[in-house]
Amino acid sequence: MKTLADLRKIREKAQHDMKLRNSGSRIKIVVGMGTSGIAMGAREVMKTLLNEIATRHIVDVIVSQTGEKGLSSMEPVIDVIEEGKETITYGNVNPEKAKRIIAEHIVNGQPVTDYIISRD
Amino acid sequence: MQDLSLHLLDVLENSARAGASLIQIIISADEKSNILSFKITDNGSGMNAETLSSAQNPFYTSKASRKKKVGLGIPLFKQNAELCEGSFSMKSELGEGTVIEVTFQINHIDRMPVGSLADTIISSVIGHSETDYYLHILHNTQDQTFDYEFDTRLLREELGDIPLTYPDVMQYIDQVINNGVKNTKMGEI
Repeated sequence: MKTLADLRKIREKAQHDMKLRNSGSRIKIVVGMGTSGIAMGAREVMKTLLNEIATRHIVDVIVSQTGEKGLSSMEPVIDVIEEGKETITYGNVNPEKAKRIIAEHIVNGQPVTDYIISRD
Repeated sequence: MQDLSLHLLDVLENSARAGASLIQIIISADEKSNILSFKITDNGSGMNAETLSSAQNPFYTSKASRKKKVGLGIPLFKQNAELCEGSFSMKSELGEGTVIEVTFQINHIDRMPVGSLADTIISSVIGHSETDYYLHILHNTQDQTFDYEFDTRLLREELGDIPLTYPDVMQYIDQVINNGVKNTKMGEI
């Protein structure tokens, strides 16, 4: 059973980690978690993204949630926002696609063109 | 929505979008009185009387104004509660926050399953990592009581400037919430 004391150990490790990298987050992934996104399975997508990021120990990516963006027919929708690059929006995402986006786009820097619905 | 945990996530998203810095969630199931209740209290921007009443009607959204966006989510949750002889109440004050309380008859044939409360809480806590969440689950069966509390403020005290989104912290949160929720046996009602 995990206790708050475990967090202290994590804190030490994380502080060391952050010092080595000396940078904040490189990429922000935003999951559309409005009513229609939720109804279409956005929570499972979120869960997959978090699991992938945690198990791969990716420290410079933040995943957050936002509301509806008027793309209801293509939910679940996620945005990948990277400084100095165009924002890429993926549509009809499911856990399998989310895994591929993490592996190819986030880790290897190659957007998964098959799932892109908009770039701006 | 397929289950109550997804409705809960929808309500929590509204609270986060209303700019709440603290969202309190109390879920209680009392099998003797046959009542399952969800109470969500936030300190977000709140709503005036007009918006409050519109938010409970289908097809209303304040999206155009971008102040607070409420769509079909609230009316659907309300309808599901009323469908199984439960109740729905939403109180709000501009600048103060919003309180939503929804009850269900546990044994009603039309009551949706609870679903994964853990997935909903984890998703919200990590997806809005600057917001604080307090969760309290209380489950009384015919002869036992299960109680679980989770509070991000306590985590932050230990973590200092390390964010909740740090991978090991996410794994920690995932494990404690999954264990905690499982031990309340809420999934079995």
